Amino acid sequence: MARLRNAPRHRHGVKVALLSALVVPMSLLGACGNDDGGSDGKVTLRFSWWGSDTRHAMTQKLIDLYQSKNPNVKIQPEYTDWNGYWDRMATSVAGGNAPDVMQQETKYVREYADRGALLDLTSQLQRTIKAADLDPLVKDAGAIDGKTYAIPTGVNALALVASPSGFEAAKVGLPDDSSWTWDDYVKVATDVTKGSPKGSYGTQNMGYSDASLEVFARQRGESTFTGTGMGVSKQTLVDWWTISEKLRKEGGEPPASLSVETQASGLDGSLIGTGKGAMGFWWTNELPAISEALGKEVKLLRVPGEAAASTPGMFLKPAMFWSISSKTKHPEEAAKFVDFLLNDPAAAEIILSDRGLPVNLTARKAIVSKLTPADQLSAQFMDSVREKVAPPPALPPKGAGEVQKILQQINEQVLFAKLTPEQAADEFLKQAAAAIG
Amino acid sequence: MAPTLEGERPGMAAVDEGDPPRRGRRQRSRSDIVERRAAHLFLAPWFLGLALITIGPILASAYLSFTDYSLLEAPNWIGWENYDRLLDDPRFFQSLKVTFIYVGVSVPLQLAFALALALVLDRGIRGLAFYRSAYYLPSLLGSSVAIAILWRQIFGTEGLINRVLQALGWDSPPGWVSTPEYSLWTLILLHVWTFGSPMIIFLAGLRQIPRMYYEAAEVDGAGRLRRFFSITIPLLTPIIFFNFVYQVIHSFQSFTQAFIVSSGTGGPADSTLFYTLYLYRKGFGDFDMGYASALAWVLLTIVAGLTAVNFVAAKWWVFYED
Repeated sequence: MARLRNAPRHRHGVKVALLSALVVPMSLLGACGNDDGGSDGKVTLRFSWWGSDTRHAMTQKLIDLYQSKNPNVKIQPEYTDWNGYWDRMATSVAGGNAPDVMQQETKYVREYADRGALLDLTSQLQRTIKAADLDPLVKDAGAIDGKTYAIPTGVNALALVASPSGFEAAKVGLPDDSSWTWDDYVKVATDVTKGSPKGSYGTQNMGYSDASLEVFARQRGESTFTGTGMGVSKQTLVDWWTISEKLRKEGGEPPASLSVETQASGLDGSLIGTGKGAMGFWWTNELPAISEALGKEVKLLRVPGEAAASTPGMFLKPAMFWSISSKTKHPEEAAKFVDFLLNDPAAAEIILSDRGLPVNLTARKAIVSKLTPADQLSAQFMDSVREKVAPPPALPPKGAGEVQKILQQINEQVLFAKLTPEQAADEFLKQAAAAIG
Repeated sequence: MAPTLEGERPGMAAVDEGDPPRRGRRQRSRSDIVERRAAHLFLAPWFLGLALITIGPILASAYLSFTDYSLLEAPNWIGWENYDRLLDDPRFFQSLKVTFIYVGVSVPLQLAFALALALVLDRGIRGLAFYRSAYYLPSLLGSSVAIAILWRQIFGTEGLINRVLQALGWDSPPGWVSTPEYSLWTLILLHVWTFGSPMIIFLAGLRQIPRMYYEAAEVDGAGRLRRFFSITIPLLTPIIFFNFVYQVIHSFQSFTQAFIVSSGTGGPADSTLFYTLYLYRKGFGDFDMGYASALAWVLLTIVAGLTAVNFVAAKWWVFYED
């Protein structure tokens, strides 16, 4: 009796409780989802980039400026360092949660564009994003089959950064970069190590730098990638690794384990940045950060082997790109923001040359006088090599980002003499082909 | 001497409650229903979590392992192709090798260390609570990012360890984390250092062994070693077994240490390419999530297989008192 009377009450209570047990977590999940901030008529754009602390602070200034000019837009920043950036990007794009505006890079444009994650900006380029002032040399570097998926932020060139104080300490003269060869490079580096106090070296191992391989390949009329596959020949790889091997054996670069460590600690922990090395391959826009880390003036040298090369190896590379997610709910607002980043004079004054020398030629002229001495040096350097460089490489195929990791892994095997340059070249081509296959 | 923990064993308490004293039939069934409902109710969030966060993804990954899922595009069915590719993948075998060495060496070492310390602490030293917490601390910190970064610094070419070695007269010691021959061993050391959680469990197990056994053995003239091997070890085997199974499963899944110490590459020269790290690189770096899912299922099979072997083998060496 009592049971019958009580049962419905119980059942009801349980139902309510069960429902709330379901509903509460669900609504919590819901609350984590995308918030467009539609309630107050504001548009929220998520904006992601990678970089150093200097860049984070600078980009926040850009955001503040844009928000003060466009009170209806809220820009939500998302930033990390280079390595974490792509892991995070992969997961957020896969989760349908891609940032509206993102900083992109040559090796990843196709990765995302071919998989439909990037917005085709071709029509925006005629309306919202003004392209008139953009450097014609690199403007279309982010286009695939005539469709623009990414617009360069600025241009860069790979250079050999040299520390005059390092050379002085070793009592070795700075090399003549207008005529030097790769053999000269090995010799100079070895001499510097010999003349330096213990623990200082001529140069940092270049085997990690996929850009140095690109320059080396271009000097032979090849390139690392074609649009669809690998473009570098086995012989080129063998010769490139042989240079590294010679440097290590003759002492021009540090022992293998130190090379591994300096590579992992980036620019701030690089040999040249910590005053333990006289040379290293870096991008021109990294020059100010290197001289800041070192606390001394540094010089830019032309890459060895240019004079004797059949084709110029050095090239102007789009430093990075701006892209818009294909899933954005506000393509027009996102495009306006990209236009601001590319063309607004006040924005250019904040960015200066941190994202490469600005792709906007008017902005480039306007900021030159405001650049730090180190930046001016890199601008002059790029002007001086501009006539002698090749156009930027085609966008590499999907998988290029992973090929960089494979190159690093195989290079470590060469460093520790587990593979000869011959074996390394074979192994690299095999694994790289599988990664982009 | 040492207070026993009788009655504080959570396992026993749960069993007691599940078997309530007899009551009147009518009353019992009513309270049963209420209790059962309450139990289901309280379990509901957990079941929901299990279904959504654990079982769902597990089943999804089983399906994805038969596809060419790239993370960004819709998956296409490709049958056993991913599993076929595994057989020609040298880095898959390298990652297996690295992981097996890691588990095979670090788990026994860690357990031996944990047991040794538990024995010392069990002798009832002053400030036991303090030591227990102090030694447990590494277990909480061991798999954290901060400790891994610290590890990288300590064992670097110019790290703390090498500074000490240099002071002792070794001219140029190698970089322990950046030389392929040693890098995995620094990670094994890191794992052994997290002996705290098995130590706490061993300590609780030691407290369960009735003192009268030791007293009786002492009267019969058994020495310390004899008492250890004939009383402590046999009565502790269920605890050893639990710790062993748990740590094997746990260390197969190690990821953070290798990821941080090698900057996400598994280097130098793939010497710290843990299985999970390779899986992660394939899925999120190489956009080869189908292949990564196949890797995950191979790992699941290996761990499940080993655990099954452990349970079967337990019949021969684990001794249950009752």
